[in-house]
Formats: sequence, C-alpha cells, structure tokens
Amino acid sequence: MKRFAAFVVGAVFGLTLSWSGMTNPDVLRDGLLFRDAYLMLFFASALGTAFIGMRVLKVLQAKALLTGEPVSWTTVKPERRHVVGSVLFGIGWAVADVCPGPIAAQLGQGVPWALATLVGLVGGLVLFSRRSAVTSG
Amino acid sequence: MDDQLAWYVGGPVLGLCVVALRWLLNERLGATRAWADAVAARFGSVHAWLLVGLIFGGVVFGLVASPLDGYGWLTDTFTGGTQWVIVPVLIVSGALIGYGARLASGCTSGNGLSGNAALSPASLVATGTFFGTAIAVSFAIEAVI
Repeated sequence: MKRFAAFVVGAVFGLTLSWSGMTNPDVLRDGLLFRDAYLMLFFASALGTAFIGMRVLKVLQAKALLTGEPVSWTTVKPERRHVVGSVLFGIGWAVADVCPGPIAAQLGQGVPWALATLVGLVGGLVLFSRRSAVTSG
Repeated sequence: MDDQLAWYVGGPVLGLCVVALRWLLNERLGATRAWADAVAARFGSVHAWLLVGLIFGGVVFGLVASPLDGYGWLTDTFTGGTQWVIVPVLIVSGALIGYGARLASGCTSGNGLSGNAALSPASLVATGTFFGTAIAVSFAIEAVI
C-alpha cells in the first residue's frame, strides 16, 4: 500500500511535469533565459502550495495516513557540499535543460535523447555512492 | 494535451504532490533520492516506487501528446554530421546532474520544492546556487552559439 501510494504520487508528478512542458528543453531554456515567465511562475506556485500545505499539516499535528507516525521533518544547515553540488547540478541542468524528475518522465514518453542523459545520470549516482563509501569507510 | 497546462494549475498540483507524500508516508519527495534508491536496487523503498510512478506519468503523457520535435538548443546547434556531439554532451550533463544533486542532497524537487517548503536553510542555499548557476550557464551558451 505504501509503495502503491508513492507510485500514484509519482505518476501525478510525472504527468504534471510532462503536461507543463518541463520535459521540453525549449520550455526550460526559455524560462532560464527569462524569455518566458512560465518556468518561474510554475516553480513559485508549486513551492507556495507545498509551503502552505506543510504548514497546515504541522498546525493540525497530522499523523501520516499510512504509517500513523506524526508528520515531522528536520532542517539542515548549509554546508560547502550544498553549494558545490548545486553548481555542478546547475551546469548539467542548463546544458541538458532537464532535471532528474523530467528525465524519468522523458524516458516514459520515449524521448530517445533521454537515454544518453540516463547513462550519465546513473554514472554520476554510482560514482557518488562509491566515493562516499570510500570516504566514510 | 498538446497545450501546455496553465502554470496556476500545474504548479499547485506539483506542490500538492509534495504535501501528499508527506501526509501519506511522512516522506520527502525528491526525484534524485528516487533515482538513487532505484539505481542501488532498493526496490522496497517507497522512493524507488515514486520513480516508477514518474516514468509511468511520462508514458501516459506520451500516449496522448505529440512527441518532442528535436531536443532544444542541442539539436538546433548540432545538425547533420555533427549531431553525434549531442550524445556525449548529454552523458556529461547527466553525470553532473546525478553527482551534483546527490552531493547537494537534492535537485529541483528535493531541495527546490520539498526542502524549501520545510524552510531548510541548506535547501535555500542549494536552490539559490543551482538557479543562479543554470541562469548564468544558459546565458553563456546563448552568447556562444
């Protein structure tokens, strides 16, 4: 049931990303070049909605519907890795005009170019887990 | 579905997905975490199933909408005999996206939406950094091509 719930949320997320043009590199690029306000308005309204929704959950002291645990989260202090990682991510995002969620949705749509991005993405993730395994152990 | 969904519909729906995952499972929605769990073969993880959902959402859209025509500035710039260049460019970009987002503990969804909605200072810093970098790189590409 928990996995099915996550699947459904993912499916709505993936369909919305696709329908909003987040899987279309031209939409991303026009947004990042400020030629079109869509990307920024889309992102800001998504963030505003998520922010209000999370506040409501907190005020109501909600319990997670499928696990019964109290809804709670922790915040993280900024470290160097958040900046360095985001610079690397930002470069890749701007060149390929796609981020991890839309890569998955592009693969679902059958966008052939997404296979190349996928190869790099998996390589990057594997490299990261190997490197962190070495540093921590 | 060939018309782009209005931002004031799509944005809030996306935001509600973040709230839904928190309310249903008390989990942070993040596509990078979803990919990382799937790549590590953690199929019991709800995040890996979120990824399956993301792909499925794309499949549904692909069935009803027209396919993408080319691939943005890359297919506009590299045409004919130089089109192969796009493949290594996308592979390197994908690697930067995967490694960078993991290092920063999140991408546009994990840090940009979920982390900022929780007012996590690390996510605010990460989001400012990746938006700033992406805007600068986009203008740099525009200046060169």
